[in-house]
Amino acid sequence: MSGARGRVKVTSPQTRIALARGHRGTRRPLPLPGPEDPPLARRVFAAQRRAALRTLALLGLVLFGTSGVIAALPALDRLAVGGVPVSWLVLAAATYPLLLLIAVAHVRTAERTEAAEGHPRPGDRP
Amino acid sequence: MTGLLAIGFLVAASLAIGLYGVRAARTTPDFLVASRRVRSRWNAMAIAGEYVSAASVLGLAGLLLKDGIGTMWYAVGFTAGYVAVVALVAGPMRRSGAYTVPDFAEYRLGSRRVRRLCGLVVLVIMWLYLVPQFKGAGVVLHLVSGTPYWVGVVLAGLVVSGSIAVGGMRSATYVQAFHYLVKLVFIAVPAVFLTVRAGADVRAAALTPVTVPEGWSRPLLDIGDSGYPLLSTWSVLLATTLGAVGLPHVIMRFHTSSSPRAARRVAVLVIALLGVFYLFPVVYGLLGRVMTPHLVRSGTTDTVAVVLPGQVAPGTLGSVLTALVAAGAFAAFLSTSSGLLLALAGGLSHDLFGSGLSRLRLAVAVGAGVAVLLSLPAAHVDINVMVGWAFAVAASTFCPLLVLGIWWPGLTRGGAVAGLAVGAVSATGAALVSALGEFSGLLTVLLAQPASWTVPLAFATMVGVSRRRGAPPEGAEQAVLRLHAP
Repeated sequence: MSGARGRVKVTSPQTRIALARGHRGTRRPLPLPGPEDPPLARRVFAAQRRAALRTLALLGLVLFGTSGVIAALPALDRLAVGGVPVSWLVLAAATYPLLLLIAVAHVRTAERTEAAEGHPRPGDRP
Repeated sequence: MTGLLAIGFLVAASLAIGLYGVRAARTTPDFLVASRRVRSRWNAMAIAGEYVSAASVLGLAGLLLKDGIGTMWYAVGFTAGYVAVVALVAGPMRRSGAYTVPDFAEYRLGSRRVRRLCGLVVLVIMWLYLVPQFKGAGVVLHLVSGTPYWVGVVLAGLVVSGSIAVGGMRSATYVQAFHYLVKLVFIAVPAVFLTVRAGADVRAAALTPVTVPEGWSRPLLDIGDSGYPLLSTWSVLLATTLGAVGLPHVIMRFHTSSSPRAARRVAVLVIALLGVFYLFPVVYGLLGRVMTPHLVRSGTTDTVAVVLPGQVAPGTLGSVLTALVAAGAFAAFLSTSSGLLLALAGGLSHDLFGSGLSRLRLAVAVGAGVAVLLSLPAAHVDINVMVGWAFAVAASTFCPLLVLGIWWPGLTRGGAVAGLAVGAVSATGAALVSALGEFSGLLTVLLAQPASWTVPLAFATMVGVSRRRGAPPEGAEQAVLRLHAP
C-alpha cells in the first residue's frame, strides 16, 4: 500500500502512540493494540477477577462483620480491656491491621498470577 | 501569634518545595501526573498526604466530639477504600494509559459524549470536596489569628492555586509527601503529649462510656439520631469505601507510579500510612468530650483539635502545641486541595475545553475561585458531612463506571451515560435536600448519607441499560483484556 508512494515510515508502535497523542490541541482515544495472546489474556483476566471478587468479599466481611458484631452485642461496650471498651478497640484500632492484611494478600495473589501466566511487557517496566 | 508563625513557615516551606518541582513541569503529563517518575515511597506518602484532608485532621475529631465514637467508621471507610482500590482499579487504571476518569471513559467507550459527562461529574465531586477543605482553612486561621473566616478561605485559595498553577503534579507530589509527615508529626506529638498531660482522671473519664448524650458511646453512626444506627453505619462505609475507588484525584495518582505493579504496591503502603494516622484523631475527640464540651453547644466542634491544647496546657506550651496542630491542619487542606484542584483543572480544561498547559493553569485559577465562593456561606456545615457527600457522589458515579468498565466487557455507552446520570442526580439531589430541610426517622439516613441506595441504583442502571439497549463499543473485550495483560 505504502509502496505506491515509494517510502515507508518505520516507527515502533510505542513511538506511534506517543506521536498520536502528541502535543496537538485535542486528544484522541489511545490507539492501543489488543493483547498479543488473547487466550492467555482471557485466562489472566479470569484469574484476576476471581482474586478481586474474593478480596471484595473479605473486605465486606471485615467491614459489615465488625459493625454487625458491635450492633448485635451491646455487651462489648461494657466489657473493658485496659480501661478501654472492647467495642471501641475493635472500631478504632483492630480494623486497620485486618485491612492491610487483606490488601497484602491480594497483591501477592495478583502478582503471582502475572508471574505465572505472562511475561512482562516492555511498557510495564519502569 | 505562634500559630500564625507556624502556618506562615509551613506555607513558605510548601512553596519552596513546590518551586523546586517547577523545573520539571513542562508538558501536560508532567503537570497532571508528574510524567510517572516519582519514587514509590515518596508517592505513597504523597498519596496519603493528599488523602488525609481537613476531614481527617479536624473533621473526625470534631464529629466524634459531636456525634460520638461511631464517627471513626468514617476513618475505617477511608482506609478500606484503598483495599478496594488495590483490588479493583490500581493496576488496570495504570495500564489503561488514561490520566483522568474522563480519559478512561474515552479509552473504554470511545465516546466524546461520555467523556464530557464525566468531566461534569468531576466538577461536582471536586467542588463538594474542596468546599470543606477551604472551610477548614478559614476556621483554623480565624482561631489562631482572629482574622475573619473569609480571609482564611481566600488566602487558602490563593496559596493553593498559586503553587499548583506553577508546578503541577510534579511539584505537588513532593509538597504532599512533606505534608503527610507534617500532619502525622503535628497531630501525633501533641496527641501523645496531651494524653500524658491531661492526667489519669481525665484519661479515665475520656475512656468511660457515657449515657448522655444517648448513643454517644455506642460505636455505631446514628445519623441525626434517626434510630437506624446499623443502616447509617453501613451507608457511610459503602460511601467511603467505594467512593475512594471513584475519586478522580485518587485515580489520577496511580499514573505517578512507574508500573502497574508499583501502582498496586503503593496503594498497599498507603493503607499502612492511613491506619497509623487515624489512630490519633480519636485522642482529640475523646479528650475533647471531657475538656471542651462547650464546643458542642456553640456548634464549633470542628475546631476541637486546635482548641484542646490550650485547654489542657495553658500558657506558652499550650500555644506552641496549638500552633503545631494548626500547622498540621493547614498542611491537610493545602495538600488535599492541591490534588483536588489538579483533578478539577483536569476536568475543566482537559476534558471540557481541550488541553494545553496555559489552559490548565487558567482552569486551576477558575476552579479555586468558584470553590472559594462556594465556601464562604459554608462556615457552619460539618466538614466530615460534606466530605461524606463527595464520597457518596463518587461512589454512585465513577465507581460503577470504573469497576464495570475494567471488569465487564458488556458495558455500553448508553449504560454508562444512564448510570452516571442516575447516580449523580440521586446522590447530589439527596445531599442537597438533606442540607436544606429537616426530616425524621429513616428518611434522614437515606437523604443525609444516600450511598446505601444510590450506589446499588447506579450499578443496576448501568448493567440493566447495557444489557437491554445497544451493543458494547467495538473492541470492548480487547480493551478490557489489555487492562489485565501482565
